[in-house]
Amino acid sequence: MTSAENGPSPVRDQVLAIAASCNRFGLCISTCPTYVLTQQENESPRGRIELVRRMFEKGGRPDAATVAHIDSCLSCLACTTTCGVPVDYMHLIDRARAHVEANYRRPIGERVVRALVAALIPRPRLFGFTLRTARPLKQFARWMPSRLKPLLDLVPAQHPPPSEPLTPGTYAAQGTRKARVMLLPGCAQQVLAPSINAATVRLLRRAGCEVVVPKRFRCCGALTLHMGRDRQAQQNARALVATLRATEATGAIDAIAINASGCGSTVKDYGHLLGNSPADAVGARRVAQLALDVTELLVRIGLPAAVSNRALSVAYHDACSLRNRQRVTAQPRALLAAAGFAVHNIAETHLCCGSAGTYNMLQPAAARLLGERKAAHIALTDADVVAVGNIGCITQLGRYCDRPVLHTVELLDWATGGPRPACIAHIDSSPLIVRRIEQPPSQEAIW
Amino acid sequence: MVVAADAYLTAIERELGAEAIELSAEAVARYGDTTMPSGVRRVRAVVLPRSPAEVVAMVRLANEHHVSLYPVSAGHNLGLGTRSPVRDDQIVVDLGRRMNRILELNEELGYAVVEPGVTFQALHDELVRRGDKLMISATSGPPLGSVLGNALDKGAGYSSYFDHFGTLCGFEVVLGNGSTIRTGDGSLHNDQLPNWPVSKYTFGPILDGLFAQSNFGIVVRAAIWLMPRPPVIRTFHAIFERDTDIGSIIDAIRPLKLTNFVPTLFRVTNDLYAVGPEERAENLGRRSDARDISAEERRTLREKHGLGAWQASAAFYAGSEADMAPMLARVNSHFRSKGALRIIDHAQAQLIHPLLIASDAFSGRPSTAELPLLSWRPGGGAIWFLPGTPMSGRTAAELDVLARDLFAQHGFDYIIMHVAGARFARSLYLILFDRRSTDECRRADACYRALTSAYAIRGIGVGRAAIDYHGLHMDLQMPAFQQTVLAIKSALDPNGVIAPGKYGIG
Repeated sequence: MTSAENGPSPVRDQVLAIAASCNRFGLCISTCPTYVLTQQENESPRGRIELVRRMFEKGGRPDAATVAHIDSCLSCLACTTTCGVPVDYMHLIDRARAHVEANYRRPIGERVVRALVAALIPRPRLFGFTLRTARPLKQFARWMPSRLKPLLDLVPAQHPPPSEPLTPGTYAAQGTRKARVMLLPGCAQQVLAPSINAATVRLLRRAGCEVVVPKRFRCCGALTLHMGRDRQAQQNARALVATLRATEATGAIDAIAINASGCGSTVKDYGHLLGNSPADAVGARRVAQLALDVTELLVRIGLPAAVSNRALSVAYHDACSLRNRQRVTAQPRALLAAAGFAVHNIAETHLCCGSAGTYNMLQPAAARLLGERKAAHIALTDADVVAVGNIGCITQLGRYCDRPVLHTVELLDWATGGPRPACIAHIDSSPLIVRRIEQPPSQEAIW
Repeated sequence: MVVAADAYLTAIERELGAEAIELSAEAVARYGDTTMPSGVRRVRAVVLPRSPAEVVAMVRLANEHHVSLYPVSAGHNLGLGTRSPVRDDQIVVDLGRRMNRILELNEELGYAVVEPGVTFQALHDELVRRGDKLMISATSGPPLGSVLGNALDKGAGYSSYFDHFGTLCGFEVVLGNGSTIRTGDGSLHNDQLPNWPVSKYTFGPILDGLFAQSNFGIVVRAAIWLMPRPPVIRTFHAIFERDTDIGSIIDAIRPLKLTNFVPTLFRVTNDLYAVGPEERAENLGRRSDARDISAEERRTLREKHGLGAWQASAAFYAGSEADMAPMLARVNSHFRSKGALRIIDHAQAQLIHPLLIASDAFSGRPSTAELPLLSWRPGGGAIWFLPGTPMSGRTAAELDVLARDLFAQHGFDYIIMHVAGARFARSLYLILFDRRSTDECRRADACYRALTSAYAIRGIGVGRAAIDYHGLHMDLQMPAFQQTVLAIKSALDPNGVIAPGKYGIG
């Protein structure tokens, strides 16, 4: 479809225009995780842009080496934060993945794994059933086919801690209603960590939000878009547009609250994902305009007052989708600090932890290196816990990190009167025990 | 040359292993990319030392095989030549890839000993990790630039420690003849050298300067002095309305710097330099054949961003807000009396992106915020022209008229920042052009040469130069200076293996 032989193609033209905007300054390469790991030009954004340009100019079936370099990109978009132009790398790599998906026949093992990931994870019930079924098989992982083993490794060894079930419906605001919001509950998140959505609803209600949890929500399309399955992603996007329309029929919505930042990045870009369809464009733009990360929303409406006895030291990990795509970095830190936590940064904040949507399932070797690297940086902090705004990062860091990893809203919920998250039940958080004191300025210092 | 290079690479692989050579053709080609009108260079190969001993081996083998090396560190050097050799077929020695360690960080005495691959961002991050007690002097260039490479090329920052070469102390250098020397107090014949990173003025001649903008050897380590981070940093920005105000601005800054009342340098940016990172020339809705933008378009951009024809930005350092207040009041009053349209304070500047760049610069925070300036015009062509002016308003105003006219004659937008100190301001002119256009490349080259000539007639040279023009600028030096430089080159690098042609030497 996108081959040169098939004549004019808006997609091809778009990709080539993006590629042409790259000045090859190379400011991107040193912030690219795969370049940092391999030091190879074709494992850098600059190298990939050139490969993608050639792929679209040539058209037809891409070669295996090019596919491998496209596959190895995390889409973390760290490159876009240091690019001097800037180049619209996000849409370039999305288009490249879709071209590969449409024009390249992968080996059977890869096809099976990709089909499984695309079929299971966006369907919470099916995904939950699969996890329960697969959990006992973890002990036999060594005998599994090598392509399937990474998937089994990612299956949590234990059931998630019990949490109050989040049923669809409308949850009233506590006190004066400041806003009416629709919660995007995520797909994998509902299964892997249901406590996150429960904490989000409690926190938003306490902050004065009426929270609408929509019925039959499956996936926003982020996961399949990441795999080059843009039609499936567009279907998911249309479904969410329809969900918003149905919800707004019962009353105006002030915001769509998103607590999985990978979803947030995709939803905020619905205007582009559905932009070619006039029938969808208006609804897509409406969804994108309303979409807010939950921390953005909380900064706007105000965090409920913090209660005492919540003194913890928190290392905040920037999910790439929040930091590089949505540029939301100050809000979570400010909220955590306002809630009484001591907030620490983690070294190499620009480097992805290796989660990156489906990356740790499809590129396990690189994902492991990045996960271990991030965990080593976390170990250098004196934080008690790690706070993150994305379920993918929570899962990934949880595999390598030596301390609890939980969602930012779980800490904020607890700090403002919610229940203590189960994973930090063992940590002393009394402010009366002064475990770390900021050093006063040295007496020798002239300042 | 090709046979010699092949034999050299074979010898490198035999002695240092295959990992010491970059084998990817795509990667090697990128080292030849430039932003210059002359286009790309042909790079023969790239070698990757991981220690001073490996640098010694590479230089020794280069002498044996009669090949030319071209050392680069970590930076991008955009607008000055990127990482490209001056001449075709040189072998790039990339010191940044594997020699990127902070060898020592002394928070008591305020210095770091670094290898060439240590970047501004890496050093800053390490200081932050240790509690942010010390700060680097940041440039407004790429955060991934080399601390050492920038200093050795006479780069500068904006804080009190702006003089990067001046804050280097004690080098270790592999000379072109293969021997290794230490400079400063490191030159003592001893293993214990406590003064090496803290004292430059030991017995004997000061050799350090030989390795700034030269090709006599490869500096493999040095100390850089670091400033204690002030608790309170507050910028201020005096906005001036007219192009002709530059003379008044320079005269207003001079006493503030001569007395050291203001501890930082001043960034004096014209309108396009300030808004360039936020805007694109092609977005102004102009005809495609339009060249430099009109006065009316400039005025529109100034109004959009709340800026003036010039903005003079600097910062105070203090222990508290209370200490800060009287200093800010005094400087505000000073600039108002000198004709400033208005003063933008630190808090207001946080909402004006072009002024936030200054805030990062004075705070020692590496930032990418200014880099989009390079894309004000499409096509990725860029040349910095870097002369300077005495801190005399009359001279600065004359030079401004001169340069503004030459930019207009060649059809380029006038983009300029003066970085002003007590007696001298370095002038950063940026010629942006479309590398894909033969006409624009020709005009950019002609513009640079016209500027060089016009300044040289007035006795003004440049502080740094892009690789296309190293020979041009060396030819403007007095003959005895050129002969002396060549004599030193012959003595320290008799076979001319280190970057022949760089800085116009050899």
